[in-house]
Amino acid sequence: MSVIEQLVSGLGMPNFVILIPEIVLLITAFTVFILELITKNRKVISAVSILGLLGSGLFILVVVLGILKLILSPITLKEASQNVFYSFILNNFLENFVTLYGLYVVDLFALVFKLFLIVGTIFVLIHLRPYVESKKSYYGEYYYLILFSLVGMFIMVSSPNLISFYIGLELMSIALYVLIGLYRRDYKSKEGAYKYLIIGGTGTAIVSYAIALLYGRTGTFDFKEIAKTLIISDNLDVGLIGGLVLLLIGLALKASAVPFHHWAPDAYEGATTPVTAFLAVPAKIATYAIILRIVVEAFPSVTETWGLAWALFAAASMILGNFVALRQKNVKRMLAYSSIAHTGYITAALAAPTGMGFAALAFYSIVYLFMGAGAFLLLSSLEKNEGWSNSLDDFKGLAKREPASALIMLVFMFSLLGIPPTVGFIGKLGVFLALIGYEVWWLAIVLVITSIVSAGYYIKVVANMYMYEPTVKNRLNISLTEKLSLGILAVIVLILGVYPTQIWTLTTTISSLLMAGVGR
Amino acid sequence: MSIPYEYYVALSGLLMVLGLVGVTVRKNIIAVLLSTELMLNAVNIAFVAFDMKLHDVAGQVFVFFILTIAAAEAAIGLGLVMAIYRLRKDVDVEKLTELKL
Repeated sequence: MSVIEQLVSGLGMPNFVILIPEIVLLITAFTVFILELITKNRKVISAVSILGLLGSGLFILVVVLGILKLILSPITLKEASQNVFYSFILNNFLENFVTLYGLYVVDLFALVFKLFLIVGTIFVLIHLRPYVESKKSYYGEYYYLILFSLVGMFIMVSSPNLISFYIGLELMSIALYVLIGLYRRDYKSKEGAYKYLIIGGTGTAIVSYAIALLYGRTGTFDFKEIAKTLIISDNLDVGLIGGLVLLLIGLALKASAVPFHHWAPDAYEGATTPVTAFLAVPAKIATYAIILRIVVEAFPSVTETWGLAWALFAAASMILGNFVALRQKNVKRMLAYSSIAHTGYITAALAAPTGMGFAALAFYSIVYLFMGAGAFLLLSSLEKNEGWSNSLDDFKGLAKREPASALIMLVFMFSLLGIPPTVGFIGKLGVFLALIGYEVWWLAIVLVITSIVSAGYYIKVVANMYMYEPTVKNRLNISLTEKLSLGILAVIVLILGVYPTQIWTLTTTISSLLMAGVGR
Repeated sequence: MSIPYEYYVALSGLLMVLGLVGVTVRKNIIAVLLSTELMLNAVNIAFVAFDMKLHDVAGQVFVFFILTIAAAEAAIGLGLVMAIYRLRKDVDVEKLTELKL
């Protein structure tokens, strides 16, 4: 037996069954990569990508439902092992869910986030082709870069280890740099991409220096091992403090929290709008998920300090994001600042490091998917029209020209603002209650006041749509598919606003499972 | 006589700071890109130094990942610099700003 054979036989086969969603996505990405070289039929390429996403998403959906059934309902282990489906779930997803020699974990937390990331990406892909065709900027690269970026997010949300976290983060970001720059003959997109590349590259260097310091201090990359080492010797020395501070800065930079937000508005404005939606929603949500996982799994001993740091970032993001958004004339840039403010609302939940706070963070980031993606994608379908420049004046009289789109925009704006019965209200309420429960009064007050300030610009859009006569009379061209997908997003926002129980139960379950660290 | 690992860590810290300063003060977009690469290489030195301290090889494995990622970033960065130069015939950071508050 050769040396290599001995090594491999000692390690055993990794469990590939739980990697099926990622494998499906990768195969789709490479298929699109090759198809794009042979065929010029754009519908085929877009259909193949969406099919791959649907396949992967359906697999995850079935597994999530199976796990929930096993956890929440009184099925005994014996009954479960007799049923083929339940024993499949039990063997692969409730036991043996750490694979690739401890570098990859597929727990319920990761699966739920992956499900919603896929949902968001499907909506982005539906809107991508009409937009880039109308802007004469079609590239087949969009599809497989988005898929590769999504695989990076998948790796990131299911990383139990600093190595896989770093690789996932970089796979996601590097694909995003290219995606932002892909806008034919448009200088702004190159400038936005370059700014994101430089600031994101600095963030990468900072994150990897943090990893180096943590490795030097603890001698391991594994989250759980780091936590163990820190509990045994909990003195805060230079290496640990430096590592923590740098990791915080790097993560805040990737999540575009103030004061590390400078790349966000420029990159968002420069990119094609569906890519902006992808950048502002799925990429952000994956970052929030990994922030949550790192604090729970790697640093349970310093949650107080970590929470305080995020509270400061969150307060700064809420204040600056909302006040700067007030003076924007361009709605796309305004929504970019609003997304910075939402980073503030979401990460504020980390100031209350309890099950309630983590559940609120997961809940708000999941529902932000629907309203954030909806607002950006609606903008993308409006922007296809000749003479639409995204300025606030363009929205004047939209209700007369396009009643359906105006109504949908109204729902998204009210949801981002947090008015019941939309789901944005429930999300903010969850964060607020978590903060009150942990007695972080000052942050709760900042949250409420900045929410009121944010009405200034969200309501301005609504007022422009409904209280003015249209200046231009020409008809707007929005296809039925786009209206349908936007309508679905708006209906989800309304339904979840009236009946949030299911998602709330789901997020409470995943946060308590994450805190219990089941099986790891 | 071998040099203690702290010296290497100090060197890497110094390079990291130099890179950060470079990103903030340089005016040429290629030099800014170079500064980010400098920071990533500083991290490599830190990893190898910590491996010396811990008598381990895991850090050196991480260095390989950083090298590949740095290469990918440099490729994309230079591509963007080319695209920017074609559109504007300039590489000065201050003359290239269109997107502002």
